[in-house]
Amino acid sequence: MRPHDNRAWFLILPALTLLGLVGALPLLAVINYGFHDIFTLSDVFWVGPQWFSDILQSDRFLASLGRSLLFSTLALGIQVPLGIGVALLLLTYGKRAVWGLMLVALPLVVPWNMIPMFWLGLIQPETGLLGPGLAAVGFDWKFTGWHTWALILVVDTWHWLGLVVVLAYAGLSAIPAAYGQAAAIDGASRWAVFRFIQLPKIAGALAIVFLLRFVDSFMIYTEAFAINAGGPGDATRFLTLELGEEIKGFSYGQAAARATLYFLIVLAVVWAFVSATREREG
Amino acid sequence: MRHLGILALAVFILLPLVQAIVLSFTATLPTDTLTEGTVGLMNYRNVLAAPELRAAMVNSLIYVVLNVALCIGVGLPAAYALARYRFTGDRHFLLAILVFRVTPPVVLSLPIFILFSHFGLVNSPVGIALVHCLFNLPVAIWILESFIRAVPQEFDETAFLDGHSGLSFFFRHLIPQIAPGIGVAAFFCFIFSWVEVVFARILTVTGGKPITMAIQAMFSFQTDIGMVMAMTCLSLVPGVAMIWFVRNHLAKGFTLRA
Repeated sequence: MRPHDNRAWFLILPALTLLGLVGALPLLAVINYGFHDIFTLSDVFWVGPQWFSDILQSDRFLASLGRSLLFSTLALGIQVPLGIGVALLLLTYGKRAVWGLMLVALPLVVPWNMIPMFWLGLIQPETGLLGPGLAAVGFDWKFTGWHTWALILVVDTWHWLGLVVVLAYAGLSAIPAAYGQAAAIDGASRWAVFRFIQLPKIAGALAIVFLLRFVDSFMIYTEAFAINAGGPGDATRFLTLELGEEIKGFSYGQAAARATLYFLIVLAVVWAFVSATREREG
Repeated sequence: MRHLGILALAVFILLPLVQAIVLSFTATLPTDTLTEGTVGLMNYRNVLAAPELRAAMVNSLIYVVLNVALCIGVGLPAAYALARYRFTGDRHFLLAILVFRVTPPVVLSLPIFILFSHFGLVNSPVGIALVHCLFNLPVAIWILESFIRAVPQEFDETAFLDGHSGLSFFFRHLIPQIAPGIGVAAFFCFIFSWVEVVFARILTVTGGKPITMAIQAMFSFQTDIGMVMAMTCLSLVPGVAMIWFVRNHLAKGFTLRA
């Protein structure tokens, strides 16, 4: 058992200071800005909770919120099972699995703003490797809403599948071989092994995957903006695209209020998730 | 059957990269001496000849190295504290770093810009290195903590009995013992920092641009897409090298600590 010793605070003090400076301080500032109308930094007026009630009552906000939640649900629904599947597959390769891990980790080191460029180049009707084929089957990501959705989902999956695979594989490969042998003696089915041995053992790894993937997909901007800037129509107008418009339009007070709301939504999800995890662990 | 699955995965992952690499070796903007479609190294020569692109590579390297050093340097003591002691507020601290890790960068971009311009940290790699700690320091702490926890407590006690002080224990004993953990932490800090664009964009208005922003600036009315791809391919080199160095430890990963 670890001893109780409050001198340990000295060891976490540097980390706490750094995070306070780049995390807590700006967060307080952004919440404060949200209650003001900001023309310039020396020209600031208190408006109270007006921005918040404006945003919460606007139909556009609710529609974007719905789209972002749907996108996160789809992204998680595709990437988590697929990532676990790939990790299980790699597990059967023993030592050679490391090549698979390196392969799926590749997209993680591509600059974010180039990822949509890669894919737009790939599906370019004239010159892309996939372009002519996709054009022939009538794939039109510019003007058909659900095609844009599909493209953004594919791009996001390409980008982040590696993180899911690496973390899931890490959890799976840490399970002692004795567990599998015991299950084999009991005649457990493949599904039973997964459900009752592997899944509980990788719960910690999956929890962090879930949270990271939730936040990043919920706040997707770079890919969505580069691919179709929220179009066609408003079909892929996610929450961040609205925030981006306000920042570009210099409505800083309103943008800050919006950012605060987004932060609260993320916080609520994280809180629910952590409470559930702690309850499960007892 | 399983080979087929791996093959499909490899095609899916590699296809966009292959197209980019092919383009990077192709002349895409005809000049007086070159016709479009010529294959060769000209894009790479052009990239290396452009001073602003060379500067961008240096800027990116500086801020990433600084960021990784900061995260490991500050994260190690914190990870040690969490792995070895219980203290008042330890779970709150874990929850706090989780919250910082998942705070969307776009939420903080505006105040970060104002705060950093007060301290003269805009247009400098130091500013980016600092702000990327927001999402990298928590990850570094999680990874290092799990590696330190895997070292038995007796290891520390023996070292202290041998008369090592706190500092010499850290440098002579603990760090060599958890070297793979430091590698993995550095890798994850690297992948979240090298490719990040939100903070990198707002913190570099006129100068100090990292690779991501230098690539962005190459898009214009007449974009030389081959040169853009050459720059992108060069930007992948450090990342691929990182993957190679930690390949055998990559599968340690990190888990939710809350």
